[in-house]
Amino acid sequence: MATTKESNLSALYVELNRFAQNGEYERALKTANKILQQFPGEEKAFHCKVVCFIQLSRFQDGLKAILNQPKFSQELVFEKAYCQYRLNQPHDALKTLNAATSLSSQLKELKAQILYRLERYEECSDTYRDIIKNTTDDYEDERETNLAAVMANLCMEGSNRDV
Amino acid sequence: LPPEMQPIPCKPLFFDLAFNFVEFPSLEDKIEAAAGGKKGGAGLTG
Repeated sequence: MATTKESNLSALYVELNRFAQNGEYERALKTANKILQQFPGEEKAFHCKVVCFIQLSRFQDGLKAILNQPKFSQELVFEKAYCQYRLNQPHDALKTLNAATSLSSQLKELKAQILYRLERYEECSDTYRDIIKNTTDDYEDERETNLAAVMANLCMEGSNRDV
Repeated sequence: LPPEMQPIPCKPLFFDLAFNFVEFPSLEDKIEAAAGGKKGGAGLTG
């Protein structure tokens, strides 16, 4: 009996993995929910569920799910703050990030965007300079564009910081 | 008469790069458990 249940779980994860990789987020969400109904402690399924909500632009549902599962939410700081950011709650989003013990490069990226939304351009520019110095990925041009936007705003504010 | 046109600064372009980092966790271990479980099952019964 236990073996059947376990192999059923693995089969569900195989299905979830396939939908996730194909970008079939509605189906992936259904499978993740199926797993969580039978195995409420499955943290990875919960993580997938939240990613599905974000991919489907259902940020309110994503945030609600995280808030209702405090035992999982420590792992999902990035997802929680991202939902808050997209729900136009930048103050809450920043609070969520600041509670994290250390900032990964993803968290820094999100923090820079939140600071931009909060019009805290000096801190935002510092954060972008830090990311640009320490990151090599496919988004370097876009990041430079974002930094240029920060600089434009600093100029418009009449900041005397070096551009 | 309409008022004279005035130039205003355009809104700078700003990308949401954080969205690209919203990724599914690796499910390898969960799937490998499936393969491993099957092997174990065969060992027990066969």
